[in-house]
Amino acid sequence: MPDALVADLRAALAPERVLAEPLELTLYARDAGIIEGHAHVVCFPLTTGEVQACVRIARAHGRPFTPRGSGTGLAGGAVPVEDPVVIVTTKMDRILEVDEEDRVAWVEPGVLNLDLTHSVAHLGLHYAPDPSSQQSCTVGGNVATNSGGPHCLLYGVTSAHVLAIEVVLADGSVALLGGVDAEPAGYDLRGAFVGSEGTMGIATRIAVRLTPTPPAVRTLLLDFLSVEGAAATVTGIIAAGIVPAALEMMDAEITRAVEDFVHAGFPRDAAAVLLVEVDGLPAGVEAAAQVVADVGRVHGARSTRVAADEAERALLWKGRKSAFGAIARIAPNYYLHDAVVPRTRLVEVLSRVYEIAARHRLVMMNVFHAGDGNLHPLIVFDRRENGVMERVTAAGEEIITACVEAGGVLSGEHGIGLEKRDYMPLIFGEADLDAQARLRHAFDPDGVANPTKVLPAGSRCGDLQRVPEGAWI
Amino acid sequence: MTLHLDDDELVSCVACGLCLPHCPTYRVTGEESASPRGRIAAMRAVQWSGAPLEGDFTRFMDLCVQCRACEAVCPSSVPFGHLMEGARETLASDTRYQPGWRRAGYRVLGRHRLLLTASTALAVGQRLRLVPRRFGLPRLALRRRPLVATGNDVWLFTGCVMDAWMRETHAAVMRVLAAAGAGVALPGPGAACCGALHEHAGLVEDAQRLARRVIGAFPGEAPVLVDSAGCGAALKGYGRLLGTPDAAEFSRRVMDVHEWLAARVDALPVPARRFPQLVAVQDPCHLRHVQKAHAHVRTVLGRYADLVELDDEGLCCGAGGAYAALHPDMAADIRARKVAAIARTGAVVVASANPGCAMHLAVAGLDVRHPLEIVDEVIRDGR
Repeated sequence: MPDALVADLRAALAPERVLAEPLELTLYARDAGIIEGHAHVVCFPLTTGEVQACVRIARAHGRPFTPRGSGTGLAGGAVPVEDPVVIVTTKMDRILEVDEEDRVAWVEPGVLNLDLTHSVAHLGLHYAPDPSSQQSCTVGGNVATNSGGPHCLLYGVTSAHVLAIEVVLADGSVALLGGVDAEPAGYDLRGAFVGSEGTMGIATRIAVRLTPTPPAVRTLLLDFLSVEGAAATVTGIIAAGIVPAALEMMDAEITRAVEDFVHAGFPRDAAAVLLVEVDGLPAGVEAAAQVVADVGRVHGARSTRVAADEAERALLWKGRKSAFGAIARIAPNYYLHDAVVPRTRLVEVLSRVYEIAARHRLVMMNVFHAGDGNLHPLIVFDRRENGVMERVTAAGEEIITACVEAGGVLSGEHGIGLEKRDYMPLIFGEADLDAQARLRHAFDPDGVANPTKVLPAGSRCGDLQRVPEGAWI
Repeated sequence: MTLHLDDDELVSCVACGLCLPHCPTYRVTGEESASPRGRIAAMRAVQWSGAPLEGDFTRFMDLCVQCRACEAVCPSSVPFGHLMEGARETLASDTRYQPGWRRAGYRVLGRHRLLLTASTALAVGQRLRLVPRRFGLPRLALRRRPLVATGNDVWLFTGCVMDAWMRETHAAVMRVLAAAGAGVALPGPGAACCGALHEHAGLVEDAQRLARRVIGAFPGEAPVLVDSAGCGAALKGYGRLLGTPDAAEFSRRVMDVHEWLAARVDALPVPARRFPQLVAVQDPCHLRHVQKAHAHVRTVLGRYADLVELDDEGLCCGAGGAYAALHPDMAADIRARKVAAIARTGAVVVASANPGCAMHLAVAGLDVRHPLEIVDEVIRDGR
């Protein structure tokens, strides 16, 4: 017998769009990270009205709700905690309107990031934020985590591309945040919502800025025999006045893993490779590519390969964007970090990170957005090995501490979720956390929207949160 | 260990989700249970946590088309096809997953004379308007002209449904091979079914029995050419299915017919006139994702026709061997995306190197032909 909550949801949506069987719920216990929770029920609304119904019914039964897109997040933002109603937006996947002249598209939250780009490509436009999961992740999920991506170095992260959002708030009402006009009046609540990880409500329609596709692009692969040389090249390129569209680094281990998958000719014996892309008008692109190659040579680049055509470029990018998935060639589990450090301290932080991993006897790889100092240290392990989780967690904590001590922050683009929540006090004082908790409270006074995420327990006086039994980090 | 899968294979999915948009059933539903990642999570729940085989688990496994697009895009190279076949093998042996009527249907495929008789009966039924169109059958011939061997350079695998329903395609393929200077040997009745559908259904022993029979039907060293992508993938997989050196050696001789022709494309006649219409190339999943031989179709067909690519990155059409018959609604929903992708190309003729895809797409009203039927037509028109 389904419980009353499930029955009410089925009546409001449709029976086949409300899942409550044990095996069905198991499939929604986690995202692409390593934390598991438990959903009470999973529902698939089709419209803003149905999202409202899900929220209201959840509240009426005293249950919180957790929004979910494709479940490609890495920080546990979509992991169900406190037996919530999981509201999945994947069936809300229509591109509602494309305004070619104003370069704005209205989309539903379940539209896949890359589908949006493909659908406007014939207009010479694209959607600029390009997380590595862009083929799979939803625009709604991108809004929730304020996603970045390789090309965000030049074009900016998600919040720079979201103009307006229709949201269902925690009380079930609908609000429109921001606007497609140049300067919407009032406080920038849109800016507050982007990156709020489902703790302020659920986006149900999103107006995004479309970016003209540059007429010329050059993609270069530079190969180094030392990580230091690659890191110095990163700093050197920016110092030379060039802001590439993308500036990515992969270390030796991850380069080999990726090469085994894509066979793109990544050098298997390099200590590090840089994938650099410059775009714009043809003459400027030529000049910038030359500067990149020159800076690389000064810092010991063994070779510089320029992608000859679009197919070669696509293959190089496929390698970079498959990196996280490809690590299962080495071990079946990974714990991925997302800290950002000042670009000038990359070399120093990297050597500390390798040292920490070695001390904990863990395999560590690095693949990251070098241009903005956004590290992605990956700890690779096999969960079945006894006691390995303790070492992974301890090493992770030390890595984060090292990054913060170097003047960094916890997350560049994946979000805080559950995974980094308890590290928030490393960078925020009591007053900072309290201010953020008050903002959240203004949107969700009853704490029903994706509870326990982002802010650690005790961010406000009397605010008790804990990781429930059954969930584990 | 109720599912009897290899733990190392099962553990190799890191749940990154890069497979999701390439999975036809996930594309239609947006639900984890209809995705490769979700299906693996379900397999883990059974294998490691004792979730029951019957009910939801069976339903989730059965909805998979087994197109294996997920395998081709998986950065970790999770052997999804093998996991799915293993899960279905356990379901078939331990539950009522494959009831008697389904098993009987699969067995007919391996009994060629029975299949031919049944096909003739169906053809008569079609003339009498007794066979509903929604069954998705092509218009079957009342009489099938026998194929005549032309030499010993290569074998042509003839198969079950392909031979019973689309023998004219074999005839066209043989003419193209002859134009390339190759004499074609034809197998005996042992080559009547490759066993792919049995393997996909979890009826592994049946598949193995058919595989041994097929291998016996192709003595010697000559290449075994296949003009049906699904059969070709199965034949190439005999080495793994049977696990014997002989089977592995046989699999090495197997080539998709386009693969063989592409290496000899200069031996094919220069067309006097190209095919008059633009041709959209539909890649059968087991040619593109499993055999990875789809480029060869373009090499051969592109010599005779102007080709246009679909923009759906090889997303499955929903045919899936017996899938369209067992899951007609899902198969139709999946097909709707393919039909839309074809419509975006503006082409009216579609080339598909797999009989299942061709039949499934033809039901939607498309003009679908085997690539070598188009080549054959151009070559014959030039004479």
